[in-house]
Amino acid sequence: MKFKHISLAILALSVSACSDFLSVLPETERTVENFYKTAADYNTAVVGTYATFKHAGLYGTGGGSLIWLGEVSTDNTEYGYTRTPVSAIGFEIEDLNYSLSNTYFRDAWQGHYQGIGRANAILDRIAGAEIDAALKAQYEGEARFLRAMFYFNLVQLFGDVQLVKTEINDPYATAGILRSPASEVYALIEADLATASEKLPATITAANAGRASKWAAKTLLAKVYLAQKKYAPAAVVLKEVIDANAYKLMPNYSDVFAASTSFANNKEVILAVQNKGGQIGQGGGFYSLWTPFGAISPDFGISGGPGDGVNKPTADLIGAYEAGDLRKVTSVATSYTNASGMVINEPYPVKFLQTGIIRGESDVDYPILRYADVLLMYAEALNEQNQPAASLPLINQVRKRAGLSELTVSTQADVRLALEKERRVEFAFESQRWFDLKRTDRFVPVMSAKGYPAKAFQNLYPIPLREIELNKNLTQNTGY
Amino acid sequence: METLFTGKPVWWLGICMLLLTTPVFAQTITGSISDAGGGKLPGVSVVLKGTQKGTSSNADGAYSLAVSGPTSTLVFSYVGYVSQEIQVGDRTEINVTLAEDNKSLHEVVVVGYGTQEKKDLTGAISSIAAKDIVKTPVSGFDQALQGQVAGLQISSSSGAPGGNTNILIRGIGSISGGNEPLFVIDGFPVSGAGVGNPLNTISPNDIESIDVLKDASATAIYGSRGSNGVIIVTTKRGKSGKAQIQVDAYAGIQQIGHKIQMMNAEEFARFTIDGRNNGYLDNVPTGKITDPNSMRPATFRIPADLQNPAALGEGTDWQDAIFRNASIRNIQVAASGGNENVRYAISAGYFNQQGIIINTGLKRYSFRANADAKVSKRLTVGVSLLPSFTSQDNLPFSGHYGGFGIIQTAMGISPHVPVYRPDGSYGNEIPAPEGSAGFQSPVKIANEYKNPSSQFRLLGNTYAEFAISGSLKFRTTFGADLNYAKNQIWIPSTLSTSAPVGIASATATRSENINWLNENTLSYKKTFGKHTVDLVGGFTAQRERGDVITANAVNFPDNLIPNINGGTVNSGTEGIQDYTILSLLARANYIFNDRYLITATLRRDGSSRFGENNRWGTFPSASVGWRVSEEAFMKTQHFINDLKLRASYGLTGNNAIGNYRAIGQLTNANYVIGDALTPGLARSSFSNGQLGWESMKQLDLGLDLSVLDNRVNLTADLYEKRNTDMLFNISTPGATGLSNAVVNLGEVQNKGLELALMTRNTTGVFKWTTNANITFNRNKVLAMSTDAERIFSSANGQVANTHVTQVGSPIGVFFGRRQLGIFQTEQEIAEYKAQPLAKPGDVKWKDIDGNGVINDNDREVIGSPHAKYFFGFNNTFSYKNLSLDIATNGMVGYQIYDGTFMINNAGVQNNTKYVYDHRWISPEQPGDGRFGRTIRGGKNTNTVYSSQYLFNGSYLRIRNVTLAYSLPQTLTQRVGLQNVRIYATGTNLFTFTGYRGYDPEVSVSNDNLLASRSDFGNYPIARSFTIGINLSF
Repeated sequence: MKFKHISLAILALSVSACSDFLSVLPETERTVENFYKTAADYNTAVVGTYATFKHAGLYGTGGGSLIWLGEVSTDNTEYGYTRTPVSAIGFEIEDLNYSLSNTYFRDAWQGHYQGIGRANAILDRIAGAEIDAALKAQYEGEARFLRAMFYFNLVQLFGDVQLVKTEINDPYATAGILRSPASEVYALIEADLATASEKLPATITAANAGRASKWAAKTLLAKVYLAQKKYAPAAVVLKEVIDANAYKLMPNYSDVFAASTSFANNKEVILAVQNKGGQIGQGGGFYSLWTPFGAISPDFGISGGPGDGVNKPTADLIGAYEAGDLRKVTSVATSYTNASGMVINEPYPVKFLQTGIIRGESDVDYPILRYADVLLMYAEALNEQNQPAASLPLINQVRKRAGLSELTVSTQADVRLALEKERRVEFAFESQRWFDLKRTDRFVPVMSAKGYPAKAFQNLYPIPLREIELNKNLTQNTGY
Repeated sequence: METLFTGKPVWWLGICMLLLTTPVFAQTITGSISDAGGGKLPGVSVVLKGTQKGTSSNADGAYSLAVSGPTSTLVFSYVGYVSQEIQVGDRTEINVTLAEDNKSLHEVVVVGYGTQEKKDLTGAISSIAAKDIVKTPVSGFDQALQGQVAGLQISSSSGAPGGNTNILIRGIGSISGGNEPLFVIDGFPVSGAGVGNPLNTISPNDIESIDVLKDASATAIYGSRGSNGVIIVTTKRGKSGKAQIQVDAYAGIQQIGHKIQMMNAEEFARFTIDGRNNGYLDNVPTGKITDPNSMRPATFRIPADLQNPAALGEGTDWQDAIFRNASIRNIQVAASGGNENVRYAISAGYFNQQGIIINTGLKRYSFRANADAKVSKRLTVGVSLLPSFTSQDNLPFSGHYGGFGIIQTAMGISPHVPVYRPDGSYGNEIPAPEGSAGFQSPVKIANEYKNPSSQFRLLGNTYAEFAISGSLKFRTTFGADLNYAKNQIWIPSTLSTSAPVGIASATATRSENINWLNENTLSYKKTFGKHTVDLVGGFTAQRERGDVITANAVNFPDNLIPNINGGTVNSGTEGIQDYTILSLLARANYIFNDRYLITATLRRDGSSRFGENNRWGTFPSASVGWRVSEEAFMKTQHFINDLKLRASYGLTGNNAIGNYRAIGQLTNANYVIGDALTPGLARSSFSNGQLGWESMKQLDLGLDLSVLDNRVNLTADLYEKRNTDMLFNISTPGATGLSNAVVNLGEVQNKGLELALMTRNTTGVFKWTTNANITFNRNKVLAMSTDAERIFSSANGQVANTHVTQVGSPIGVFFGRRQLGIFQTEQEIAEYKAQPLAKPGDVKWKDIDGNGVINDNDREVIGSPHAKYFFGFNNTFSYKNLSLDIATNGMVGYQIYDGTFMINNAGVQNNTKYVYDHRWISPEQPGDGRFGRTIRGGKNTNTVYSSQYLFNGSYLRIRNVTLAYSLPQTLTQRVGLQNVRIYATGTNLFTFTGYRGYDPEVSVSNDNLLASRSDFGNYPIARSFTIGINLSF
């Protein structure tokens, strides 16, 4: 070191020491070291965790894994593209012929764990953070809510999954973490949601639109209970949400999804993926992705085509709408007029359509939790506790809004079928169908009856090949 | 070249003065002087030893000189020949044959931090002289080095003026770090800052010599930057003597070397109809070929314009619309001179090259000024400045047509569309015909898409050298490389690839890059009897800081202002990249008895790029040489003139691992909260305090041999390189929350043989010299994070996962399905079983895993983009004042993935006539067995990437032919000129290759060597014809 110092003296430069000269920190990139200090830092970190919704493994910009794995893999929709090497992964989902390397699985796994990692980074530090107590509670609640939601999706999609509760700082650290039984994952989810529902605010101001409330946590908790067939606690929580009177059905079904409905006026949506156009990187992509493949039409507005044909409604779904169901016209179109004025009979979803916008720049939000779901979940919880009569008024609330007559069925089995049908049309294209069929053990019976090659093991998706290649200790789901 | 010519008159003057002082002598000797080939040598100096008396031979090689008596000795000397001393005796006639001197032995080679005579070298270093650099009319000297040096592989991946070249010394050593060698210009290690290819900023005319350092012995002095080899560029400096003025100018024309024959309009229409009908029948079981469009899904409809092929005829060849005959011009004026105390050299140059694609080109204004002054007996100071301004007009050349890729657009747009419609508007396919793709007019893109860029660069260096004693010197330098660049992109709303009206956007980029360097060295050189020592040691500090600001604008109300000011700025970024290097260096050369040579070097580098727990690296090397020909036992033979054996071993590094990689960073993860864009952040990388340089150990065994009066010179090197601790972007399990991490691991081997042969085939009046070199390199990945790991790469993102890097294979080899042929009959399909959806005419693939199903598991290595060997074969012929240079080069044994064939075999984009003529039509017309039936969206998905689209790339190119004539000096001196040379050059005159794309040097991925040699329609390399003149006075 001595020679080095002599040399430095010769250098006659204002270099005080080697270590100073050699320590150069990024000036235009933020580093982990300087972060997680102030309340603003934690807020930014929480926003970054919400941003996971836009990951290709969740909702993407309208073409994320949850749409493929929640809708295209069911009788609701199909893939209207042409078969090419690029579209092969989409057709695998539609054909229920999954390859382990399919990127929709890979992305779903990675995306959800990315969100979990972001939530863990907050939860590791926030207890010791010296910030305003109210904000601290809110941020902790949000991080726990989001972590619970990500784990809930994972455990439904893949079954037993790796349980990571703290930030991972060594790329090799997860090698020893095996898949935990689903029951342990559910335990963490329930605990997180219990804490979250205590810490989260009951009302969300318009300035905070998009953030989770106490009721979002409770609604999600109810969904978690239902998925485990814990009907009694589910009913308790759902009744709480209903009794709180914080949310209600919008009188007009189409207003739930309209970009023109403001946050303050939208009493039905409890939590939604937030989209915003204007070329700020937050636009929704439903429009061009979901319009018919190759189609160009003045109906779609400027740059509206050619579409990609994702989530093309099946004839079966279109047939599922009862005559007079007001939801049908809000949800699907069965034809469009092409550029040369020819009417083309090809169905496509219109639920999240916003005309006159730039491709991929939709403002329409994509609901994750909404009040209609609360009502129908409550109905399910009651019916499964053998109270079909008590569940009927709840279903009928939803039917009434859709312009349909009240249901008069009476047996538990009939109400189950009625709920199945009602949920299907109410939540079409909202990535609920696969999860509903799975929860009610109806995936194989319903799909097989319609000629799909559904197998019992497909109640879980395969652990992505990438993860098994990177960690030989991970086991694959049975059947794959 | 000018030194040779300019030296001569001064020398002549000396002879004249000698003659004037000659008194009368007693005995007169006459005779003639010739070279080994029998050619008469004029101008040979004949001097009476120990006196100043002498003469020189006349044009016939004859001389006459009076001597004092028999004991007198005559000394015959001539530049480039070995001097001879002959005692007169009682002779009156003495005829002499002078042997050519192997002057290359005494050539001074620039090594890092010093120079050495070539005979004393123990490392593998090749030198290229100025005359070989300026031979080819190109923008950057890198393009001129092609085929000149063994072990140096250069390919022009783009033919755009100032386009990118891939420069590799001894193979690809790094998977994720950089592979470009270190460029050292006048002692200053520069980096690739600025826009485009940074070597374009230096005029080739300003270069005195280029030295290529290849083995560890030569490069270890550059420590953590040496493992990819080092290219040292030395610019011209002034020499003492009469002032020299030199003018070099050339002008010429360039054109596309090879146009691709595409389908004409009629053929394309038939092709489209076939493709859509076949696709319809394949996908719609109830479909009939007679079904009208209204019954068909959009994909399978026949576009209205193409329904009557016979009426369409020839149509447009869009290549004619975008390629042109383009001009190239260069002029450079230089002056140099000085005396013993002060020397100077200045130059100014202008270079203007139009691209062969319309509206593209490069202009450069370059200057050079340097001066050296002897301030006192002990102190010398000097400065050199290389300012230049380069501006370029670019277009999106090689991208996808959906992003205005102009070449793909020109190749893909339907030939039935006219360049201009009758109303004068551009012909295009906007909006896209239903079920088809949209194509903007390539001419409109070229006219309306604007992407100008420019950069100002100043490379300046100063030094002071103090002679502490006769053998001990201290030298200190301070220099800076300043680079200011800007780049603009403007896409008007009139341009869209999908709609009649698009969305205007503009981007502006400004960058500033400051790279400063201070070096302090002590050097000691002394000879004690038979021992010579040459020592150098020093300390250096370098810092480079770049700052790039980019702004994008949208929402343009009109197209009147083609920059970000015309719209609303919607995003902007600033990126600062800063790193430092501190180094200690030392080298010792020891020579015993002019025959045993030892060199040892050591460098210690510390860099901010390396993790805080691993900040300093040590890079040693050692080498030995044995000049066998100097041994006494070799003096008895005359066949071998020089023989040297060399061996070297050493460790070097690669610090091209990017800045801040060791530091855990956050990335923007914005979201919408409260209906407003809200900033969010999330971790984007792991912290890794251990992250360091890539290491490379290299063994080199070399031989330098000259035989037959130095007329045959061979240099051979055998090397083995092992790169370890490579910068590796490993995939991390999803559960870590991040998808990848940067660590050091893995091992890559390159081994090879380089041969360079220089022969003087004839000497005398007719001279013929051959320079040939050939390099064989084998690359192999020995270790990655796991043996099963595969890094998939692809060029341009147009087709995914075309290349793989895996243990046991070379880096970035082609990986995909293997085509077995084309199914001819239903029976063949039924027997094969693995492709139940196929129909006759579909592609048959190998079932690699043998499980009876064809899917992604049925992929294997199907070819390599790396040449088995590459070579240069250069000949120079001269007769009196006339000379002819013919340079050829080639690469052999590699494949090219020609994506232009693959993009479409279905009738959406145009395709080559070859595909039309050689596709499968029926078992009776089976085509070439490679291209299947035309089909859009077929169930067999014939367009899956496979060996079907790999083609042999081997080529031999006549790279350069130059015919030059030097005017006789008797003539030039009459008009006050010393030397006048006029020449005509043809470049890329012909390429012998089986490859059908534009050029076999193609590589759309530029410097991404994990996915090289993919062709998606690249900027073709031009053929050029130029005439030029060199004047000096």
